[in-house]
Amino acid sequence: MEKMTSPYRWGMVVDLDRCTGCGACVVACQAENNVGICGKREIAEGRDMHWLRIERFWVGEYPNVRVRFLPVLCQHCHDAPCEPVCPVYASYHNPEGLNGQVYNRCVGTRYCGNNCPYAVRVFNFYSHEWPKPLDNQLSPDITVRPRGVMEKCTFCIQRIRRAREDAEGEGRKIRDGEVQPACAQTCPTEALVFGNLADPRSRAARLSRSPRGFRLLEHLGTHPSITYLKGGGREHV
Amino acid sequence: MKRRTFLQLGTMTAAASWLSGCRSANEKLIPYLTPPDEGVTPGMAVYYASSCRFCPAGCGILVRVSEGRAKKIEGNPAHPLNRGKLCARGQAVVQELYHPDRVTQPLKRSGPRGSGQFTRISWEEGLALLTEQLGKLQRERATDRLALVTPPLRGTLAELAAGFMRSFGSPRHLSYELLGPDWLRTAARRSFGQPSLPYYDIAETRYLLSFGADFVEYHLSPVQYGFAFGRMRQGRDTVRGHFTYVGGRMSLTAASADRWMAARPGSEGMLALGIARLILAESLFDAGSLTANGLRADDLLRRLEAYDLDRVAHLSGLRQDVIAEVAREFATTRPALAMAGEPVAFQTNGPDAVRAVQLLNVLVGNLNRPGGIYPDAGETTGPEDSFAELLSLVDRMLGDRISVVMVHGDPVHAVPPATGFQEALARVPFIASFSSLLDDTALQADLVLPDHAALESWGDVIPLAGTREPVIGLMQPVVTPLYDTRQFPEVLMATARGLGGTMAAAFPYQSYLEMLKSSIKKRVGPAGGGDFEVVWVDLLRQGGLFKANNGQGKSLRWAAGATLPDPGEPRFAGDEKQFPLHLQVYPSTAFLDGRGAPLPWLQQLPDPMTTVVWDSWVELNPETAVWLGISFGDLVEVTSPQGSLRLPAVIYPGIRPDTVAIPLGQGHHGGGRYAKGRGANPLALVALMGINREPQPAWNATMVRVTRISEKGELVTAGNPQGSYRSELIEI
Ligand code: SF4
Ligand code: SF4
Repeated sequence: MEKMTSPYRWGMVVDLDRCTGCGACVVACQAENNVGICGKREIAEGRDMHWLRIERFWVGEYPNVRVRFLPVLCQHCHDAPCEPVCPVYASYHNPEGLNGQVYNRCVGTRYCGNNCPYAVRVFNFYSHEWPKPLDNQLSPDITVRPRGVMEKCTFCIQRIRRAREDAEGEGRKIRDGEVQPACAQTCPTEALVFGNLADPRSRAARLSRSPRGFRLLEHLGTHPSITYLKGGGREHV
Repeated sequence: MKRRTFLQLGTMTAAASWLSGCRSANEKLIPYLTPPDEGVTPGMAVYYASSCRFCPAGCGILVRVSEGRAKKIEGNPAHPLNRGKLCARGQAVVQELYHPDRVTQPLKRSGPRGSGQFTRISWEEGLALLTEQLGKLQRERATDRLALVTPPLRGTLAELAAGFMRSFGSPRHLSYELLGPDWLRTAARRSFGQPSLPYYDIAETRYLLSFGADFVEYHLSPVQYGFAFGRMRQGRDTVRGHFTYVGGRMSLTAASADRWMAARPGSEGMLALGIARLILAESLFDAGSLTANGLRADDLLRRLEAYDLDRVAHLSGLRQDVIAEVAREFATTRPALAMAGEPVAFQTNGPDAVRAVQLLNVLVGNLNRPGGIYPDAGETTGPEDSFAELLSLVDRMLGDRISVVMVHGDPVHAVPPATGFQEALARVPFIASFSSLLDDTALQADLVLPDHAALESWGDVIPLAGTREPVIGLMQPVVTPLYDTRQFPEVLMATARGLGGTMAAAFPYQSYLEMLKSSIKKRVGPAGGGDFEVVWVDLLRQGGLFKANNGQGKSLRWAAGATLPDPGEPRFAGDEKQFPLHLQVYPSTAFLDGRGAPLPWLQQLPDPMTTVVWDSWVELNPETAVWLGISFGDLVEVTSPQGSLRLPAVIYPGIRPDTVAIPLGQGHHGGGRYAKGRGANPLALVALMGINREPQPAWNATMVRVTRISEKGELVTAGNPQGSYRSELIEI
């Protein structure tokens, strides 16, 4: 991995033993990030705009059947397959380990989306509407992406930025737990833990060393910033 | 050089342009009373503390407001119930405020009922219309011909509504909600001699045994219990709490269980007694607890003789060894906790089945213990049989003994038609609705006096349950009201003033805010210290009154003379030949009983178990589907003795082959563009069942048959029906 120029390397831990699949994080993300409202047709075409989705797996057969939930968001890979394929450099890696997307550079080739093994990049195939006065809820911190632009989870970069400015104003580093993306903030079971992986004592860093940890599609060598923790127990499958 | 490394040189500027838009820092929490130009910088976001009243749980929220507009709802970390967390519904409440189809001013019906034709009128006119109707009843000395229909109210609003009806002279205030926990209160009264709801210490328990208690979706206090569940699993260093779920359908809650026991519908109470008998027979019970509760093991064992393993296995359709194993695990893992939920309660033997589960808690000695059950500190009283009140109101309406109905909420959608409510309401000469959308009830109304959205309202929100300390959450407006609407309590007070005389005298307040403050002042008591204004601003800033004071002293004890629960075999509506399948109706995770359906974020939220969006569906076991020739997404017809519905089929591996399930929440005639005409309301199928001729809310005691109509179910799922990755590929 390359040399880090920043004291931060943002990452997340998703504890699958805690996650109940409730979907609170999905709505929180949509609310925070001006993610478009998609109707039935759009979703039928496979063009849902959610940046964060809960995968659901049925395992086994009745009556010995189980369900597993897997929250999937951008894995902020350190060797991100989406980055080298963008002809206009809209998809890039920042020094804090975030995989960014510069919306006003994006020309909509969708190469990045094709190359993402996690299918977390969503493309604005349509212009999305917020019928008045629903547009009042749009956050002024984030742009509303027009038709033809690719978008995806940013780890709520506007929140990270705000926290950094607050911290810099006080001449200190961002404290552990001071910044949380909208999904982690609302998760009732505290299944999502966000933090600075460059600080070995942060909660996220400690949890990411758990023996239950694994990475999503690890064999692809994408080196994600997200560690999943396996559900424990589950002895009756 | 990797291209990425090369790019880093240029990315800082790129990041800046990406984040164009003004920087907005967050100010500290401020109460609404602070003048707008004081301490608030334009372009900066501020947070207001308030409370969520979308469901009775009553979580604390913080609303991020920028330039006078509500942007984002977050959990209030200071609130002892939800500690900064929220459910999906709570996140979406901002769309109630900015819903494009809100009723913007009072409306008077101008077409036939249900046609949706209304004329816009002023508040003076609207209030005059209502006062005139009520005045007429007063003059005719027929004040008991007024009925008020609301969901169960708590706190100041409850006081106000009660005062209104009392001073008007009508005892007909119906507080009814389909999912109200009346059944839990009744069971507690019969078992423990007090009607308080239980508080479950899930976080500290080591063995959770849930009989249909769906605490992840909606049961009592979903955010609080979801939080506790996370701790139960991974919050302790060496202990991971075990979770067993009993119920014929694998609910979202059951999906997180280690073991799922698909008991036959209506057999859960007998299963609980079977487990109890085994614990007694094998002397695995807590002797101290039995003595303390005035019970004797030998006596209990004798009286539970009928529930031997063989019979219980036969009744529940479960394997004997599995039942015995669960009984032993439950009795030997301490602390262990048993909960009962709505699917169990809404059966003909529900009331006793719930008590059978309570008895399990007594047997293993977990009353008033960490990891066990305490009396909840939420409201200690509440409706215990509002269903009977609903039926008696229906009777009165059918007998033309009600002339005016004032309705808050949407009972036309959320009350099963088998009760006759909709038909009876249609006979009432004058209906006033306070809905802020033209929902199914407002469409039937003669007058609509639109309420503020929650984020525009004052109020106190007392959580239904979920804490051991009394909590009063406060609601404050976070934005100036968008339209010419008025808060429901303000309208009640204005009506009282309009009626004059004793009515007006009953409400000596200028506004609801004044009444709210005086009632909070009483609750704070002298402990708050000198200047109440200062205290009040503080309370608003933090979101309510969270100090622990009492409630710790109360405890649960099996009441002397309480009968032993005897659920008996369940009964079902519809004969087995014609209607071979059990129907389970359950609250949708996103919409609950239907209140969430108008909000587009919730419509778009894939249902966690089926990933269906913007629709409703019926769940069938794969085996049943093959037998009926039905495939995923087919349009099917579900017929019960009560009615029939068409909707798409979902093949659902987590349901008994003899059961089908339909979520509640869709099938609105009104409710704005996102809800209207979408999906189907399964309440239309539910039949009315009685115990000893007395009708009971046994919503899960209806039998149905399912037939295939065509392949055009138009079902849309967000995920692949099987999930996108093979789960072994990603190691879960
Ligand atoms: S909010 Fe938490 S528990 Fe709910 S689905 Fe998301 S990660 Fe899972
Ligand atoms: S649980 Fe109920 S009160 Fe709490 S956030 Fe969800 S809808 Fe609101």
